[in-house]
Amino acid sequence: MIAITAPSQRFSRLLANPSAGAILLLVILIVAMSVAFPNFFTGINAGNVSNQMVFVLLLALGMTVVLITGGIDLSVGSVMGLSAGIGAYTITSGAPLVVGLLTTMAVGAFLGLINGIMITKLGLPDFIATLAMLGVARGALFLWTGGVPIIGYMLPEYYVISGLSQPFGFITVPILIAIVAVVVVAVVLKFTSYGRHAYGLGSSPHAAVLSGVPVARIKVIAYMISGLMAGVAGMIMAGRNTTVAPTMGLGYEVAAIAAAIIGGAALGGGRGSAFGAVIGALVLSITANAINIAGVSSSWQQVVTGGVLLLAVVFDRVSSLIRARSARLATRLAHA
Amino acid sequence: MSDTKIISEVKKNGVSRRSLLTSMGLGAGVIATTGLLSACSTVAPTGSAAATGGAAAAGSIGGSVYDAEIKKLVAGRELQVGWTPPILSEFFNQMENAAFGRMAELEAAYGVKWKWERSSPTGNFDAVEQQISTVRGWTTRKFDAVLVCTGANFATMQDVYTEAADSGTSVFQFNQPVEIYEPDQISTVSNIGYDNRSQSGYLAGKFIADTLGGKGKVIQIMGPSGSDWTKARLIGFAKAMAENPGMEVVGSADGGYVREKGLNAAQDLLTRFRDVNAIYGENEDMALGALQAVEAAGLKLWDGTDGIVIIGADGLISGMDSIVAGKLTATIDVGSVDQGRTFIDTIFHNVVLGESVGKFIEVPTRVVTKTNVAAAQAYINNALKPAKTY
Repeated sequence: MIAITAPSQRFSRLLANPSAGAILLLVILIVAMSVAFPNFFTGINAGNVSNQMVFVLLLALGMTVVLITGGIDLSVGSVMGLSAGIGAYTITSGAPLVVGLLTTMAVGAFLGLINGIMITKLGLPDFIATLAMLGVARGALFLWTGGVPIIGYMLPEYYVISGLSQPFGFITVPILIAIVAVVVVAVVLKFTSYGRHAYGLGSSPHAAVLSGVPVARIKVIAYMISGLMAGVAGMIMAGRNTTVAPTMGLGYEVAAIAAAIIGGAALGGGRGSAFGAVIGALVLSITANAINIAGVSSSWQQVVTGGVLLLAVVFDRVSSLIRARSARLATRLAHA
Repeated sequence: MSDTKIISEVKKNGVSRRSLLTSMGLGAGVIATTGLLSACSTVAPTGSAAATGGAAAAGSIGGSVYDAEIKKLVAGRELQVGWTPPILSEFFNQMENAAFGRMAELEAAYGVKWKWERSSPTGNFDAVEQQISTVRGWTTRKFDAVLVCTGANFATMQDVYTEAADSGTSVFQFNQPVEIYEPDQISTVSNIGYDNRSQSGYLAGKFIADTLGGKGKVIQIMGPSGSDWTKARLIGFAKAMAENPGMEVVGSADGGYVREKGLNAAQDLLTRFRDVNAIYGENEDMALGALQAVEAAGLKLWDGTDGIVIIGADGLISGMDSIVAGKLTATIDVGSVDQGRTFIDTIFHNVVLGESVGKFIEVPTRVVTKTNVAAAQAYINNALKPAKTY
């Protein structure tokens, strides 16, 4: 019996990884691009992609945590812009750089807190509460700035923090920040009671309530993590752009959700991982990078991203069907 | 200016404007702008009023006899004007302040009163439905004049404009690439802007070719594919490239008119084409993003003899700061100030005085480089301090 099931188990374990479809697509894309464009598979381009993917990755990490609890955060793009704006303004008003950067992150976490409170205390649906925040935060940024970008906050250290100046080659500070964020989120999800509760809450909200999981706290913290990640992304982007335009982060919520889903997070909750977010962000960033290098019309980017999203979800459905079938087969063999 | 915060600048203006008004009276603020106006001879599309301003007394535009006559015609009329740019940005902020400056001048000289309403989609170039309903709302409220710049579908807008005209609201477009459409199909009273082909795209291409001695490799960072601005500017740019057989456009990518995407696009293209001589950023934010990509890649910026030439288009204070700092090689100043002043003049002449105006009014545009950036920047900075805001 063992001889029969071992290879199929290995195969199904491979399929069981919710990021399997995305990884497969990623490999195909990288191989195809490397063959067609010799400059694609190079250290320089790897540096480009890693630096470009930081924003989507950070947002996707936060989004993954929220998705795991069964929620969704539509406000991340706006939160990113508003927190970056407030942080930059703090620096232009004469505050030290550290205060500005901490302010940016704190504003992000605070807006996440408001999201969480609206959802848990006021009982608003996640979708509605964060959609409202998307509008309010973006509108506030526009009203406050009158559409005029904020400039004049670029202290010399900020160039290093945002990765514009690269004293250590392509391993920039944003990449290090992203690595730390990935590790922290991975550890929190895997090894803490918060992580277990979050998965439990997302898989079965009813059971979670009955078994005494502090639902409100888990949710509020998830939105705060998402807000904080948006704040960190905003902090880095403010440096990378050297100006905070009121459009900063516009539309990034879509990329964040797409990256999280491509990486195996489920809209229905209970599933997702930090590793998946990395894969998802990588897929989106490499797609954008490949389209620029290949000189293909940028409209393809939306088509390809949509297609990848669809394929990832379809692949996941098919593989779970196969897994279910092989499990049935294994059970039947065991009984035989 | 590089260390100045635009935000606080704007806020300071609010204070200084108020103090100007209260302490010196309305006319005082006008002197400076009127003088500049005649010096630059850029405004006054319909001739008469503005061009003779230089020697007149404070607040006067056409001399005392003319002013008195016009004042009688105006008879203290209040004009309700709606202004809807496609987005709020540094560019449109410059334009709006320039418009305020001209409104204040006309108010001081002729007693015309303005009620100004601004509405803009917050942040999305595609949020055109909002603009359509805004214009319809203003039409219903019987606004005297409506100023539109939009990314909305051409045909849809013409219907909206016709509806407005039928109910007595005069529609004007500004900064709209009308040149790529049939003049007869455009249903506005007048269109104040510039020809994106010859006055922006072509100038950028020619500047690159001239600077590089007619030979070199160029990458283009374009606006959203399908946008009318992009289409029009590319026609002009391609023409300049065609006139210089030594020039070769090796790659192009979409920078979505925003800095982050411009930076990424330039970074990716520089990976494939390390040996480019010039980057054409179709607007200034993308050009500034491309500049960051060049710097991050450790490549050399143009220093007058050697390096990568980067040119943008818009004419923003922030872009000009970069030119002053010796980073951005050049930009095309597409007349944010003159467009703002001119569309106010056009409304005044047409709606208030009942005069005819041209259907297509093109303001001057210019290539701004290190040699002429001081004047260009001073002109905009001056416009950013209107005597009154509305």
